[in-house]
Amino acid sequence: MRKVFLIQAEGKEKVIMLLRRHWFVILTKILLWGLVAILPVIFYFLMHDFLVIIIFNEAMQAIFILSVSLYYMYVWLFAFYAFIDYYLDVWVVSTERIVNVEQKGLFSREISEQKLSRIQDVTSEITGFFPTILDYGTVHIQTAGEQARFVFKQVPNPRAVAKKIIMIIEQNRKYHQMLDEEEGRQK
Amino acid sequence: MEIPLAIFYYIYAAAVLVFLIFTLFNIYHLMRFGYLTISNILIVIFYIFGSVAILAISWDYIGAINWHQSIQIISTLNAGYL
Repeated sequence: MRKVFLIQAEGKEKVIMLLRRHWFVILTKILLWGLVAILPVIFYFLMHDFLVIIIFNEAMQAIFILSVSLYYMYVWLFAFYAFIDYYLDVWVVSTERIVNVEQKGLFSREISEQKLSRIQDVTSEITGFFPTILDYGTVHIQTAGEQARFVFKQVPNPRAVAKKIIMIIEQNRKYHQMLDEEEGRQK
Repeated sequence: MEIPLAIFYYIYAAAVLVFLIFTLFNIYHLMRFGYLTISNILIVIFYIFGSVAILAISWDYIGAINWHQSIQIISTLNAGYL
């Protein structure tokens, strides 16, 4: 149901694939922000004696409390933003086109699309230790349009995705060939 | 030199306001572009719950502070090291 909302379907167009980055990508971000969250606790235990000297009166305690509160507030905010950045970057492959939806910062969202008939080449690439183990990587889509290359970043099963896109392009070509022939016959 | 402690409180309040504005933008983005799925709603609720928890715990500590006092910078720093 969600797939339908992401792009405005044209005619008999159907959404075949909806891709996001691999779950490991968001897991690393969550772990990173988790580490940032426990840093003050580690700092507190390491620098306990020094902190006792600095936070010796009520005024300094107040500043310390405000600082810690702000620190955790913004760690929480940035962690949530990291999730939104992951969640809202979507690549859609339909029977007619590919759509690239990218959230760039909080106030910028880029949506680009290309017709399947303009795609010239599809390649997949897996580089690195974790991508090889967990099978995620990049799918490069070479097109004849203004935006010469579409890149599906860190998507799961890139080889299977590339194969499926090639298959969909082939089906799309056959379908349009059939429509053209039918149109020719009617004329 | 004396600085009223309340200044830090106002700076903190401004930072909380910025936090709330960005929180609203984040939630708006997720609801507007991520669509109303159950997982989406649960994530938003989880985030709001976390935010409220941080603010409530902070308020618990901040409420107990006397904000009418001042900090004497030089003597405070000196006293800290003596």
